[in-house]
Amino acid sequence: MVSPHGDDPDEVFERLYAGESAIRKVRSGTEDSSVDVLLAMAEFDPAGTIPKTQLFLMDRNSQMAVVAAHRALTNAKLIAEDRGPAAAGIYMGCGLGGANAMQEAYRIYYQRKSRKVKPSSVPLIMANAPASHISMRYGILGPSFTYSIACSSSAVAIGEAFRAVRDGYLDCAVAGGTESMLNDGAIVAWEALSVLAKEHPDGPAASSRPFAKDRTGFVLGEGAATLVLEEAGAARARGARPIAEIVGFGASSDAHNLTQPAVDGQVRAMRAALADARLVPEAIGYVNAHATATAAGDKIEIDALKQAFGDHARRLAVSATKSMHGHLVGAAGALEFAITLLALNKQRLPPTANLTVPDPECDLDCVPCRGRPALDLEYALSNSFAFGGSNAVLVARRA
Amino acid sequence: MSSYDYIKQLLVEKHDIKPEAISPDTKLTELGLDSLSIAELLFDVADKYSIDIPDERANFTTLGEGAALVDELVQAKGA
Repeated sequence: MVSPHGDDPDEVFERLYAGESAIRKVRSGTEDSSVDVLLAMAEFDPAGTIPKTQLFLMDRNSQMAVVAAHRALTNAKLIAEDRGPAAAGIYMGCGLGGANAMQEAYRIYYQRKSRKVKPSSVPLIMANAPASHISMRYGILGPSFTYSIACSSSAVAIGEAFRAVRDGYLDCAVAGGTESMLNDGAIVAWEALSVLAKEHPDGPAASSRPFAKDRTGFVLGEGAATLVLEEAGAARARGARPIAEIVGFGASSDAHNLTQPAVDGQVRAMRAALADARLVPEAIGYVNAHATATAAGDKIEIDALKQAFGDHARRLAVSATKSMHGHLVGAAGALEFAITLLALNKQRLPPTANLTVPDPECDLDCVPCRGRPALDLEYALSNSFAFGGSNAVLVARRA
Repeated sequence: MSSYDYIKQLLVEKHDIKPEAISPDTKLTELGLDSLSIAELLFDVADKYSIDIPDERANFTTLGEGAALVDELVQAKGA
């Protein structure tokens, strides 16, 4: 992964478990017009993974995706002589595509009043570029699909990859998501929606406050997370160690409103995921919530959890790690599902940071402020709910 | 820096071509660049010198000829 907390999954998990926020205040804009914005930026080094001759043909989202895929394939012991698993498929999610190249092209056109934009603009911007670059870099010859479903993009990508492997279409899939849109053109659009967090008096790091009474919205983040999905025996036969087992995927549409989520759609997605996994609600111990820290969204998700899980909702642990890594939009589902898998693997729950004064209407166990052990954790669920009312839920089991 | 030196610098730093493979007599097509990379190279040079390289003039063969074209267009712009 490439995330605001780093690129090593174990280190990222430890930092999240410790409740550490990666949200900072960053100066954004142009020389004559700039403001401080809250962001969760990711640092990464493509050198050594991406050839210099390819770097300028890749926007930041593609570079992050390849760096993330490299680690996932390496951990799965699937890279030999610099080539990956030829027969595998690639399933990637991305909300916006090459947002930085898009801004640069508009900047040249509107600011310099020139029609001469970079010849690579189109292949940099196209949303399937990250999947294509993973395919080209590692010689992966199976299908490469890209899902653009706003905040559910990469959860759906992983869900579809899971189905392809489970149903016998593929032996192996590289699945995940990537997003890098932290430029001013994209940021002002998000600002205009009035969904971004205001800086908290305790500082930028305390500004993303899911489930808290004083929550004000989310902080945009960037990054990429990829997983290798395959039959456990095949991984073990190569000496690779499975992190966890993916056992269910459910999706639904709200058919309600472009930006307002709806309880019913979320309930149906969670029920569909549980049914797909052939599990009763009581089997689930932990939910990594979508919870973006908007006033309406968090409460609706809590209500949906109560409906989907009934009496068991009171015994669920529900945490919102967006409190620390921000909202990665098209990469959010993949990063949060990866964190969920690590929680199962390590039998420890990452907290909801900054949850000092809970909203009385968010009255489930939201693992406030401190991570904690969960020694009997067997199954966990990760929610992703997108603008447009597209809901996706993944279920995993301890390996 | 001369336009030739700038082209050479781009080829080395951005396109990972070995400096010893580059001379004024080197043909652009000999460098192993794909069409998109060649288009990017021409874009970068035109951008650097704020010139417009007309499509019908972009058919030069060697790097030396390309640099001479850039110099000519820069001079024409100033005239």
